[in-house]
Amino acid sequence: MTEAPAGIRRGRAPALAMNLLARLAVLGLVALTTFALPRLLPGDPLQAMLASDHAQSLSLAELAALRERLGLTAGWGRQLGDWLGDLLRGDLGHSIRHARPVAALVAESLPWTLLLILGAMPVYLLLGALAGIRAGRAQGGALDRGLTGLVTVLASIPPFVLAILLMLGFAILWPVLPAGGALPLFPSDQPLVRAGQVARHAALPVAALALHEFARFYYLARAEAIGLSRRPFVLNAEARGLAPLRMLADYYGRNILPAFVARMSDSISGLFGAALIVEIVFSYPGIGGLIYGAILDRDYPLLQGATIIVAAGVLALNWLIDAVLAVLAERG
Amino acid sequence: MRVGPPLLGLLAVSLAARPLLPAWRSSREVLAPPGTAHPLGTNAIGQDIALGLLHATPNTLLVGLAAAALATGVALAAAGLAATAPPTLRAAILRLVDALQVLPAMLVLLFVAAFAQPGLAGLIPLLGLTSWHEDVRLALALIRREAGRENVHFARSMGASWSHCLRRHVLPAIRPALAALYVQNIRQVTLRGAGLAFLGLTDPRLPSWGSMMQEAMDHLYTPAWSWLLLPPALALTLFLLVLLALAEAAPDKDAAA
Repeated sequence: MTEAPAGIRRGRAPALAMNLLARLAVLGLVALTTFALPRLLPGDPLQAMLASDHAQSLSLAELAALRERLGLTAGWGRQLGDWLGDLLRGDLGHSIRHARPVAALVAESLPWTLLLILGAMPVYLLLGALAGIRAGRAQGGALDRGLTGLVTVLASIPPFVLAILLMLGFAILWPVLPAGGALPLFPSDQPLVRAGQVARHAALPVAALALHEFARFYYLARAEAIGLSRRPFVLNAEARGLAPLRMLADYYGRNILPAFVARMSDSISGLFGAALIVEIVFSYPGIGGLIYGAILDRDYPLLQGATIIVAAGVLALNWLIDAVLAVLAERG
Repeated sequence: MRVGPPLLGLLAVSLAARPLLPAWRSSREVLAPPGTAHPLGTNAIGQDIALGLLHATPNTLLVGLAAAALATGVALAAAGLAATAPPTLRAAILRLVDALQVLPAMLVLLFVAAFAQPGLAGLIPLLGLTSWHEDVRLALALIRREAGRENVHFARSMGASWSHCLRRHVLPAIRPALAALYVQNIRQVTLRGAGLAFLGLTDPRLPSWGSMMQEAMDHLYTPAWSWLLLPPALALTLFLLVLLALAEAAPDKDAAA
């Protein structure tokens, strides 16, 4: 009895370690790209840093001294070594625009992105499952054809267009919700009112994100439900005249759960990508807004640092989910 | 239904028509609503929207078709390498591909595009090389399925090399599935390319549907958004829907499964 699980565990641990290694390799690749790309292009980081108006009156000697101090005169190898050393110590550099450590800026904006993602997740998972199951149970019916057609069109509208249309519909043409930002100009001091304000500002970005991911899980739930509706135990339950809610929760819901969980682990990268775009459209102060602002301001240290942190975070999260799933699968 | 001819035909027509179009000039008629002179209105510097759509069409098609071809080709090469490699190398390739897949493509695209502001020649490799890894597992499964058949075993026992088998026995058999994969890739890279253009991270001299939509962002509070946003958005959505229909109509659909 104890023999078999031990054997599986022996098989899993190295596999998980190998996965971790591959993710570290990819992270190394990202770090190398973020290091090399700015240096491959014309100009050096100093010029990019000094591209503002008030810094252009420096003399050549001052520039050379500054370059020396920033370590830009050293060879590529030295620079890479120094930079990696800083990175490993957790020093991601200083943002030029914000004049603050990159790590602090990222730490401030990450909760907003997580709020959007965690807010959208139950919405699209539940709606996707409900709509998909309903359509799949009556495959080929009027509801299925109408809904699937609608979702197909929805899936072909670029996410930023969906976001803009939502903004137009509910914030501009019919202004019931704020069009951008995460808090009003003067946020309230009372926690309850403040939470309400946060929720109001998050509503549209969450809706845009949920709408974008909805199609994926709708198709998945529909395909699973089509398969399930032909299985004998479901047909039998149907014939016994079980309550609709019980059919939905116990017979369909439980059986599509594994497929949903597996797909969620795959969809994290897509979700983050969509969140980046949605945040930019709604000028939401999350990590996507931070990155886009860094691009517009040519704030390269911030761009590099934020890119590396997001890459590391997504890779780690995905590995964790995989590890948890592996452990769960082991327990059966 | 074959996938290539309609798409290439569309590209050829739009490319051939471009020299015949009048230049996309600015004019004094700024933000004019749709009317007889400008069927779809004009933008903030007086350029005709309908004309802009036509100018942008070949760019969008060219980037989509070429970048997807690159992505599919690289995926196929990686899958071929994995199929013929020893098990340890194959496992390493697959693990690397899995890890790459976790990385949000948009993150990499944003970073590179922020520095390079790619034009037509830059967008194709950029989009192609950030999309290939999503297809490797599927392509490998297809190759291994075909490589396990009798004709390949027979050819191998007659002394044929793996590269010969891949070229003459495996590739022709998986072509329909690859075509469906290719169309999916076009959808993917077109969406991402439009996203980059919408964020203003492509070469500003390159007219594209995505960059036309960006202009609408400054006019959301005036009625001008409707003729700035909707025509390019509809063109893009229609193109993506046509691609979906093409993929559905492809003869071998088990690529999607």
